[in-house]
Amino acid sequence: MLNKHSLSTLATWPWAVLTPVLLFVAIAIFALWISPYDPTTQNYSAVLQGSSWEHWLGTDYLGRDLLSRIITGAQVSLVAMSIVLIAALIIGVTIGSFAGYVGGKTELVLISAIDIILSLPSLVVALAFIGIIGPGYWSMIAALTMAWWANYARMSRAVVTSELHQPYIEAARVMGASHLHIFVRHILPHVLALVVVYASADAGALVLAIATLSFLGLGVEPPTPEWGQMLVDGMNYLEQYPRLVVLPGLALTLVVSSFNLLGEHFALKKVPRGLTQRHLKILKRLRAQEEARISELEASA
Amino acid sequence: MNKLKKEPLFKVKDLVIDLYTEQVSVRAVDSVNLEVNAGEILAVVGESGSGKTVMTLGPLGLLPEGVSVDIRGQSQCSGQDLLNKPARELAKLRGENFGIIFQDPISALNPMKKVGPQLASQAVRLRGVSKQQGKEIAIELLQRTGIPDPEDRYNRYPHEMSGGMLQRVMIALALVGNPKILIADEPITALDATVQAQILELLKDIQCRENIAIILITHDISVVAQMADQVAVLYAGRIAEYGTMEDVLTRPVHPYTKGLLSSVPDLRSKRGENASGPAGITGSPPDQSSLLPGCRFVERCPVAQTFCSKFRPPLEVLPHLSQRHFVACPVAVESTIEQMEGEAYEQ
Repeated sequence: MLNKHSLSTLATWPWAVLTPVLLFVAIAIFALWISPYDPTTQNYSAVLQGSSWEHWLGTDYLGRDLLSRIITGAQVSLVAMSIVLIAALIIGVTIGSFAGYVGGKTELVLISAIDIILSLPSLVVALAFIGIIGPGYWSMIAALTMAWWANYARMSRAVVTSELHQPYIEAARVMGASHLHIFVRHILPHVLALVVVYASADAGALVLAIATLSFLGLGVEPPTPEWGQMLVDGMNYLEQYPRLVVLPGLALTLVVSSFNLLGEHFALKKVPRGLTQRHLKILKRLRAQEEARISELEASA
Repeated sequence: MNKLKKEPLFKVKDLVIDLYTEQVSVRAVDSVNLEVNAGEILAVVGESGSGKTVMTLGPLGLLPEGVSVDIRGQSQCSGQDLLNKPARELAKLRGENFGIIFQDPISALNPMKKVGPQLASQAVRLRGVSKQQGKEIAIELLQRTGIPDPEDRYNRYPHEMSGGMLQRVMIALALVGNPKILIADEPITALDATVQAQILELLKDIQCRENIAIILITHDISVVAQMADQVAVLYAGRIAEYGTMEDVLTRPVHPYTKGLLSSVPDLRSKRGENASGPAGITGSPPDQSSLLPGCRFVERCPVAQTFCSKFRPPLEVLPHLSQRHFVACPVAVESTIEQMEGEAYEQ
């Protein structure tokens, strides 16, 4: 659908908020090709070096290239974050929508369960879960999913209950649509419109939670480069070599804030607002040209 | 007609309103000239989307959020320029000069507040009176708009009242600021027939008693016939015909006005006698997102000539006695003048 019109609006895309996130995703996808060294290879002849042409950001206490570790760390974060987000979305939307659609006692039970989970800080829920099933990459993902889905369930339920009373649902029912059809075709789009926007802002928080769990030694296991892990490793050298902590921390901060920006942008998009001054100026100029052409045509006739 | 010399109460001149969204740029109002004098009822008629509401509410800064608006031309209310005014001043001007009655009273009143206090708080704000006086004013307004037992209604919530009563409350609310102009945006569309007549009567009554000008936005010709002094027929953002109610409704000239009038079902024609029913106008209004030369009505017009799509028809005065019957159709104007001359010759 890349017609002339969509190309002309490309200039008005929110590049300022899209670029940081796209950059992060691109780095994560091409991590294998752009990282100059293998992030786990230790080199005892080049331990704790400063920045140089060989190692742009220097090396850590095992002689591993810091730049490569940060780049690969982006990949680890993105993959873990995507898995958790998708799983939490699926579970949350399914349970929440089901509760909202069915109503009655089922809804009461489900919504109480959701409220209980929501009343606890999500990281505490995740910690408790890891406490039960033991630390590790996949248990971290499972724990975070368990801690995260309730939010989406809550929102889905709210959307479903409000949409369910709209006249068009009644119309669909009159025409003999099945429950599944009504839900998938008429209600789910509304649910996703809200939940996905919320999730895009949540992505940053999730990256931070992954780093936190790894920082506590409950998430990604050591040789795999992960930003939270790198913070722990760097802690011992904080005074002599602050960059070992500052650089991964900086990467983390940038990613979290860029996702927050994106989420904020989407949230604002949902509120109808006028065009940007720049866009309006372009359109006004086009209109003036059109006007001039018309008056010329009418004058010549 | 010394009315012409007097400065009109509300005036728009060469008004152009462009609406811009990311997808389309629409010319909603295209070079419109209108005047409303004190104590006069101007009816603005046209199909949905012809620019009726945008034309009247646009200069007041009352268009929905989410669209970018570009307004050019002039718009004045009692000598004050409405365009190029900062939003704050415009809001003040609106409160002092205009009262607005919306289509759907149920959603225009706050469901969480009793109707009386809604009125009273506006009285306090617009007239600078005390709360007690505000309450008195509110009750008096409720009485004036024909609400029985106003003291009791004062403490009712909107959901406790009928649509007709709520529309009366809306009218009371519009009158709080002692406006000079009342804008009624399809005030009776949401009401049933018996209540419609009452509300129209009330509006007429208010206009007579308080010498308020009313701009009546409607697509109901019978309402126009009952209420209006002046009529402006809008088509695709342009004025097709403009004049006194008698001229426009009894001697319509523009083919669009004729079509519009023949679209109204006639109560007196029996079934079978007029089997075709109301004639209507074939086709649908043009797409207003791109500017085109010529008359906007040309595709649906029964009298269209080749030159109609070449240049824009100017608003021409018809040589009636009133000198206030304007029509934007050279073809129709010419044939009407010929006809009038013929009649004069016969006499």
